[in-house]
Amino acid sequence: MIYKRTYRATAFMLILLLTVSCMKYGPAGTEDFHPSPPGEGLFIVNEGNFMYGNASLSYYIPRTGNMQHEVFIRANGINLGDVAQSMTIYSGLGYIVVNNSGVIFVIDPDTFRLKGSITGMISPRYIHFINDHKAYVTDLYQEKITIVDPVSFRITGYVPTPGHRSTEEMAQWKNLLFVSCWSYDNKLLVIDTRTDRIVDSLVVEKEPTQLLLDSNDKIWCVASGNLYRIHPGERKIEHIFPAGDQQSRTYLALNPRGDTLYYLNRNLWRMPVNAGSLPAVPFVRLPQRPYYGLAVDPATYDIYVADALDYVQQGKIYRFDPRGVPVDTLTAGINPGFFCFK
Amino acid sequence: MRVIAFLYILFLSCGYLAAQDTIEVRQLDTIRITAQRRLRDMGMQKTTLDSAGLRSDITGSLAQVLGQKSTIFIKSYGRATLSTASFRGTSPSHTQVTWNGMKINSPLLGMVDFSTIPSFFIDKADLYHGPSSVTVSSGGLGGAIALSTGTSDANGLSVNYIQGLGSFRTFDEFLRFSYKKDKWSSQTRFYYAYSKNDYQYINYRKKNFFYDDNGNITGYEFPVERNKNGGFADFHLLQDLQFKGTGKGTWNISAWYARTDRGIPLLNVDYKENSSVRNNQTDNSFRSVISWHRLGARDKLSARAGYMYTDMLYQYKRDLGNGQWANMVNSQSNVHTFFTQAEGEWYTDKWMFSANLSLNQHFVRTADNAVVSVEGQQALVGYEQARLELSVFSSVKYRPAERLGFTLNLRDDVYGENLTPLIPSFFAEYLLSKKGELVLKASVAKNFRYPTLNDLYFMPGGNPDLKPEEGRTYDAGISASHNGRKSGWNVNLAMFHSMIDNWILWLPTFKGFWSPVNVKQVKSYGIEIKGSLKLKPGREWRLEADGNFAWTRSLNLGDPVSWADQSIGKQLVYIPEFSSAITGRLGWRNWTLTYDWTYYSERYTTSSNQTHTRLGVLGPYFMNDLSLEKKLVFPWAVIHLKGIIRNLFNEEYESVLGRPMPGINYTLSVGIAPVFH
Repeated sequence: MIYKRTYRATAFMLILLLTVSCMKYGPAGTEDFHPSPPGEGLFIVNEGNFMYGNASLSYYIPRTGNMQHEVFIRANGINLGDVAQSMTIYSGLGYIVVNNSGVIFVIDPDTFRLKGSITGMISPRYIHFINDHKAYVTDLYQEKITIVDPVSFRITGYVPTPGHRSTEEMAQWKNLLFVSCWSYDNKLLVIDTRTDRIVDSLVVEKEPTQLLLDSNDKIWCVASGNLYRIHPGERKIEHIFPAGDQQSRTYLALNPRGDTLYYLNRNLWRMPVNAGSLPAVPFVRLPQRPYYGLAVDPATYDIYVADALDYVQQGKIYRFDPRGVPVDTLTAGINPGFFCFK
Repeated sequence: MRVIAFLYILFLSCGYLAAQDTIEVRQLDTIRITAQRRLRDMGMQKTTLDSAGLRSDITGSLAQVLGQKSTIFIKSYGRATLSTASFRGTSPSHTQVTWNGMKINSPLLGMVDFSTIPSFFIDKADLYHGPSSVTVSSGGLGGAIALSTGTSDANGLSVNYIQGLGSFRTFDEFLRFSYKKDKWSSQTRFYYAYSKNDYQYINYRKKNFFYDDNGNITGYEFPVERNKNGGFADFHLLQDLQFKGTGKGTWNISAWYARTDRGIPLLNVDYKENSSVRNNQTDNSFRSVISWHRLGARDKLSARAGYMYTDMLYQYKRDLGNGQWANMVNSQSNVHTFFTQAEGEWYTDKWMFSANLSLNQHFVRTADNAVVSVEGQQALVGYEQARLELSVFSSVKYRPAERLGFTLNLRDDVYGENLTPLIPSFFAEYLLSKKGELVLKASVAKNFRYPTLNDLYFMPGGNPDLKPEEGRTYDAGISASHNGRKSGWNVNLAMFHSMIDNWILWLPTFKGFWSPVNVKQVKSYGIEIKGSLKLKPGREWRLEADGNFAWTRSLNLGDPVSWADQSIGKQLVYIPEFSSAITGRLGWRNWTLTYDWTYYSERYTTSSNQTHTRLGVLGPYFMNDLSLEKKLVFPWAVIHLKGIIRNLFNEEYESVLGRPMPGINYTLSVGIAPVFH
C-alpha cells in the first residue's frame, strides 16, 4: 500500500518538476522617451563593474530634478555593455565609448535611440573630434590611436604611438593634440592633427589622466596628484602644482568660461587658471572618501561630484550650486564616472 | 493530499543513505569501526559523497557534482571556466579544501576552482558544514571539503576505459588501471577532455539593426552568436599506490598531475572579434602525498608528507595583424608548497583523544611581464614571498551514556610571524530514539581565517596590516534514518547562524588601485535539508532519490561607507536565498534512468539588492537533465552505454551576468571494462 502511494507521489513530483521550468530571461522591451529641450540635460556614464556587463547611462534634467536610469537599455532594448568609459556629443550625436565591450555606440541625445556603432578597436577609452569626418579614439591596449569617421562609423586610419600602449584623454590647441599615456606610463604625447603623427612628448608624474584647455589657451593635466599647467605652443610645462598626496587620484573640471579650475581629491578645491599657487583652504569640505568623477554645468555653473560608494551598488551624485552649497543628492547607476552635458 | 505533502518534504529532505565507509575503514573489522565512527563524527554536520555519486557523468567536474549533490552554492561561469564553492552564504575562500589530507586552497587567492577537478579523479568527498570544518582545517568559515583518492580493493587486474562524445565538439577520454596482489595495490587514472565549447545562443543583449537611407532604424534582429574563445583542453594523470606493511602499518602514495588550458569566453556584450583578442588561462599543477598509518586495537597513528606545485599563466593578447600576438596581460604565478602532518588517536569505549600537527611551507612568485616600468624591464605588478603555516589541533570526545556524546576541539594556527587566536569548538549529540535513528546534534565554534598572500603582499595594493577574519557559528540539527530490507531513507535537517567579523574586501583607494581592508561584518543564517530514499519495489526494480534544499540569508552588517550606502542589511551579491536539487533514479535490470533537477532563486548583482533595474538581478532558474544507462554483460567484458541530455527544456539562462549558458546538449558515453579470467 505504502509503495503505491509512494509511486503516486513520485509521479506527482515529476509532473510538478516538469511544469515549473519558467525563467526570467530573454529580450528586454523598449520605451519611447519624449525629447527634452536641447541644451538641457546631463548624461551620467556609469561604468558598471568590470566583466559584469552592467554599465548604464543615466539622464538628468537639472532644472526639474528629473532623473532617468538606464536610458540606453530602455530606449534600445540592449545592454550598454562592459565598462562604459566616456561620452562626447558632437554635431547632434552622442558617442558613448564602452571600453571592455570594444564598441562606441552613437545615439540621438534626445531620444537615446541608437544611430549606429563603431567597432574594431580593442579597448577604447575616449573620443575626440578633429573635424566632421575625423575623430581620434584612444585605447588602453593598443600602441596606436584609432582614427574613425564619425559619419560613416568606419575606421579610416591610425596614429602609431610606439612604446605607449595606453592612450587616454585628449585636449587640442590649434593643430596640436595632447594625449595622456595613462596605464603604467608617464608621458603626454603631442600629435599634429594634420599629419596624424607624433611631433613631441612631455614627461609628467606617473599615470596622467585628464587634459583640459582653459581660456588662456593653457592645457591642464593631472598625474599622481600633481597638477600641470602646460604651454601648448611651446610644448613645455609652465607650472607644477603639488595638489594631492603622492599618487592620489585627482579629477579636474573647468568652469564654462574656462577661467576657473576645479579639482577633486578628498575635498573639492578651486583656483583661477592663472594662479601662481594652490588655494590654502578647500572650496567645499567633503567626507573623506575616494570620489569617482567631477563636472561643472556649462549653463548654471553647478558642480557635480560622483561617489561610487562601495562600487557594487548604485552610486550617488552630489550637486552643489556655484557657491559650493549642496543642492541635491542624485542616485545614478553603478560606478558613475563620467558626465556629459547636452 | 497530506500524504503527498509529507512525501514531498521527505523527498526533499532525505539524507544520503548509509554514509559510505572511508577507504581506510573498509579495511577494518566492521564491528569495532562502527563504535569508532560514531565517536569520530559525533555532533557533526557532514555530507559524504561516495564514488557512485561522484562518477555519474564522465564530462562532469567536481563543481557539477557538488552543485547537484549538496547544499553548497557553486558559482559557475560555464563549463570548464571558474567554478567556486561557497557554504552557507559565505565566500569561496571560506571553503577549505584538502586532498588526501593536504590543503589545496591557493595560498594566493584562498580558493579552489572546482572546475579543474574531474569528478572521476575523486573517490570520496566529505563535506563539513559550518563548525564541523574546524576538524579539517581552520579558516573554513563556511565549511570544508576533504577529498580523497585510493586504490581498489578487488584482487587482480581491472581496466576501465570510458569515452564520451558530446555537443559542441566535446571529447572525453578516461582510462583506469587497477591492480592488487598481496600487499600491493595500484591504481592509475588518466583523463583527457577537449572541447571547442562554441555553443550557440540568441544574444538578447545585442541587436542587429536595419537602417533606411536616412539612418533611421527600420527593424532589428537578435544575433545568433557562439560562445567565443571558450575552448579548453584538460589533461590529468593520477597514480595511487598502497602497500600494507608486515606490521599493522599501511603506506599510501598519491601523485596527481594536471594541465588545463582554457579560453576565457568573451562576455555577450563584447563586440570584439574572436580573431582580434585571445584570453587564456593555463594551469599546471602537481600534487603528491605520501602517507603512513597504523591501526592498533585502540589507537591510530598516521603521518603524511606532501609537495604541491602550481603554475598559473593568464594571458590577454591582441592580434598585431601580421600573425603576431602582443601581450596585454601576461600574469604568471608559481607556487611551491611543502606539507607535513602527524596525527594520533586513542580511544576507549567512552573516550576518544586525538591530536594532529600540520605544517605548510609556501614559496610564491607572481608577476605580470606585460606591465613593465617606464624606465626599464622591471615588472610592476606582483611579488615574491614565502610563508610558513602551522596548525595544531586536539580533540576530546566523550560518550557518558549510550545516547549522549560530547566533543571539544581546540585548534591554533601560526601564519608567517602571526598567531591566530585559539579556535575552540564544541559538539553535542543525543540519540532521541533508536527507532528511526533519531539523533539531535548541536555545535558551536569560533573560527579564524587568516589573509591570503595576495591580500597581504600583492603589488600594488597588498595590505600587510590585515587582521584574520573572525567567525562565530552555531548549528543545530536533527537526523533520522531507516534501513529496511526493501526500503531505506535518511533525513537530515540543520539550522545555522554565524557572524563573520573583519571580512576582507578589496576596495579602491585614494591612489586609484585596489587594496584589501577588514571592513565587512556578515551575518548568515538559514536551513539546510538533505535526504534520500531507496526502494526495492520488485526483484528487478530499484528506485532511488536524493535531494537537498537550502534557505540562506547572508547579510552585510558592516559599517556603511557613507550615509548614502544602501547595502546594509542586504543579501550578499550572487548568493541565492533558496536553492534545491533532486536526483531521481529508476533502475530495471541493467537499465538506469536518472533525472537531475536543480533550482536557484534569483541572485542580486548589486550590494544594495536593487530589483527595479534591468541589470541588478539574475532570474531564478531550473535545470533539468536526463540520462539513460544500459549495462551489457558479456563473458569477456562489461560495457556501459550512457546517453545524457542536459538542459532538457532548452532553457535560456545566465548563471553569472553576461555569460549565457548552453541550451539543450547531449553526451554519449561508452565504458568498457574487460573481464580477465
